Amino acid sequence: MKPARLLPWLLLLLALGAGRAAAQAVIEGRVALPAGRRAPVVNQRYEVVSKGGVMATNPPLAVVYLAGDFPAPATPPTATMAQQALTFVPLLLPVQTGTRVAFPNLDDTYHDVFSYSPAKRFDLGRYRPDERPVPSQVFDVAGLVTLRCDIHEHMRGLILVLDTPHFVVTDAEGRFRLTGLPPGRYVLKAWVDSRTTRERPVELKAGDVLRVDFP
Amino acid sequence: MNLPDPSTPAAIRRFRTRLLLAMMLVGSAVAGLTLVLAQHQLAATAARELERGFQDQLDARRNLQELRHAALVERCRELVRRPRLHAALEDGALDLLYPSAQDELRDVMEADAGGRSPEQAYALHAEFYRFLDRTGAVIPPPDPRAVGALTPAEEVRLALPALPDRQQLGYLARAAEDDGDRLNEVIAMPIRSSETGEVIAAIVLGFQPVAPPAAAAGIRSGVWLDGALHLPALPAAERAGVAAELGRRIASGAAAEHRFEHLLAGGPHLLFFQRANPGSSYAPAYEVAVYPLTALAARQRLLRWQVLGAGALLLLAGFGASHVLARRLARPVEQLAEDSAEQRIQRARAEAALESTHEELQRAARFSADASHQLKTPVAVLRAGLEELLARDHLSAADCRELSALVHQTYRLSGVIEDLLLLSRMDAGRLKIDFAPVNLSHLIEGSLDDLGALPDGLELGVETDFPPDLHIAAEKRYAALILQNLLENARKYNRPGGRIRIAARLEDGRVYLTITNTGEPIAPELQAHIFERFHRGAVGENVPGYGLGLNLARQLACLHQGDLRLVRSDATGTEFEVCFRAAEPAPVAVEGVA
Repeated sequence: MKPARLLPWLLLLLALGAGRAAAQAVIEGRVALPAGRRAPVVNQRYEVVSKGGVMATNPPLAVVYLAGDFPAPATPPTATMAQQALTFVPLLLPVQTGTRVAFPNLDDTYHDVFSYSPAKRFDLGRYRPDERPVPSQVFDVAGLVTLRCDIHEHMRGLILVLDTPHFVVTDAEGRFRLTGLPPGRYVLKAWVDSRTTRERPVELKAGDVLRVDFP
Repeated sequence: MNLPDPSTPAAIRRFRTRLLLAMMLVGSAVAGLTLVLAQHQLAATAARELERGFQDQLDARRNLQELRHAALVERCRELVRRPRLHAALEDGALDLLYPSAQDELRDVMEADAGGRSPEQAYALHAEFYRFLDRTGAVIPPPDPRAVGALTPAEEVRLALPALPDRQQLGYLARAAEDDGDRLNEVIAMPIRSSETGEVIAAIVLGFQPVAPPAAAAGIRSGVWLDGALHLPALPAAERAGVAAELGRRIASGAAAEHRFEHLLAGGPHLLFFQRANPGSSYAPAYEVAVYPLTALAARQRLLRWQVLGAGALLLLAGFGASHVLARRLARPVEQLAEDSAEQRIQRARAEAALESTHEELQRAARFSADASHQLKTPVAVLRAGLEELLARDHLSAADCRELSALVHQTYRLSGVIEDLLLLSRMDAGRLKIDFAPVNLSHLIEGSLDDLGALPDGLELGVETDFPPDLHIAAEKRYAALILQNLLENARKYNRPGGRIRIAARLEDGRVYLTITNTGEPIAPELQAHIFERFHRGAVGENVPGYGLGLNLARQLACLHQGDLRLVRSDATGTEFEVCFRAAEPAPVAVEGVA
């Protein structure tokens, strides 16, 4: 169900990357994901959990991104973090710094999304599904933002604000493919949870397809 | 055996007194023991009551703490459900923690919030609260006034080495403006993540210390914490002493024995102490209660007097009962004593009678002996005088006959005197038989010779039937006397022309000698009396004799360990039988002398 839901986004990203330039590099590989934690039955619906203060998705997903000195985008990108069936969709949303994220309410009830995270503190207040304009926030500080709903205590969402336009969320098996990357020396990073980010220096050449696995 | 006890009643009295004393002693001992036990029991009960009072106080405090605990658990559960609180704790926004929790804890901080009863409100009214982070350190509040102001030092003391797994009870001594001694009860509650169950923080609340109503008058209670005693009712000077003593006891591990006596102003006091927060990570605090022992002592004194009074009454009753009992128990003994006394008297009387009889007998025997001796001499003088007269020439034949008769009478008199003397010696038990073998056959022959020599006109025939050399154990002269007496009788009481038969035989180590005469038979009613003294039967006065012979012969036979009896007395004759012990003949050399 979730890969199916992610699929359009991946396709979109791939289409974007493919449309840029053929001379750009591609990295593909796999991130070894921690074993999925079986939550207690009553908590089965939590999809973002904190264990010992560490936030992660369940089942685990990773975000792989290319860290480097990239210019700020000309126009602020936008993204959407919907609330649907009392969950955040998607669970884990990587965005580039300066992205405006919209929070459409797709349920029949109120939501009150807020964050106390250092990267972004905000409180959207209570809003109905038909609230217009759709509440949104600009995330201009890199870091992990934990989204919560003041009304639905179990709702968690993660927005990973990154200083790079090159990022991708792995599938449930940890596989990823980053396309449209500029040649050069970079550090490829894999965010696994709020406390674990693996990294690997990479050198990209035009037209290369680099294979990088994170153990 | 024992002499009759002249002081018998006194002895019985002594016995009774001793019995009474013993019973009283036992009674006193039992009563005393009972009293001591009762007193101990009462004292122990009083101490136990005090201790129960202390425990009740503790329990009351515990109950209140339980109430608080239950309310706080619920509050914590509520708190942790707040997404903002979770966000503050988990998303690194501790500065937003207190504002997020403020609404939840508003009713805890405001005493009269809600429609609670005053007690509940009191129990739940916190003076301050703080959160502890994952390391157990206090998260500083952005606005201390909203959560109860504390000095930094006090705040530090709220910290724990690690987040607690369960609620922790502690005490916090705070400097107050007025009397400088204020104590707060502190409860640390873990805050568990509703998601994973792990403890993500803790909330520490400070309450006014519970002051339950005193269980008994004069009891002052407080808390010992960190070497200081927080007991406002006690003067500061005494508090230090008590605190030091408590510290010593707690440090020495004597906390199990959780009471001791201590001298304070106003007399001795009993102190109870018990760990107020067992198992807590906070500094150990001890609940302390001070009881003045003066009231207790007074009560015990009163009790002791009551017990003593009751005991005295009991003892008195016991003495009375002992007295009655002793009397009753002594009665059979008295009876016994009286009976034995009577017996003693009777025996004494009988013994005295016996004694006097014996003495009279002795006296009588002595008298006879003396009389006989006294008579012997005059009789001899008389006979000598008569014989001298008889020897004179100028006497007529008639005078000579008369004088001869008189001389003959003196011989009779001498014989009687001799017999009496012998009898009196036997009566006095002074006659001792000097046993020796005596040839009875010779003795009979000799006697028969004498008999034949007697001048009488009886013309008696003599038959003998005895073996030769028949020996008996006897003293010869007395054996001869017996024989002579019997033969004399046989001759005297025989009819003219009658016969005398003398027979002897040896049978079973005894020698039986029978002497039979053919005189008039003795009347059967007189046969029983013939051996009595001065009894002569129904014989005529012309028969010589004086009734001593048979008696003497029988007594002598008895002294020879033999007997003399009348075998028969009928028309065929009168037969006497005397028996002696048989004896071996003496050696030949001796026989020549005998």
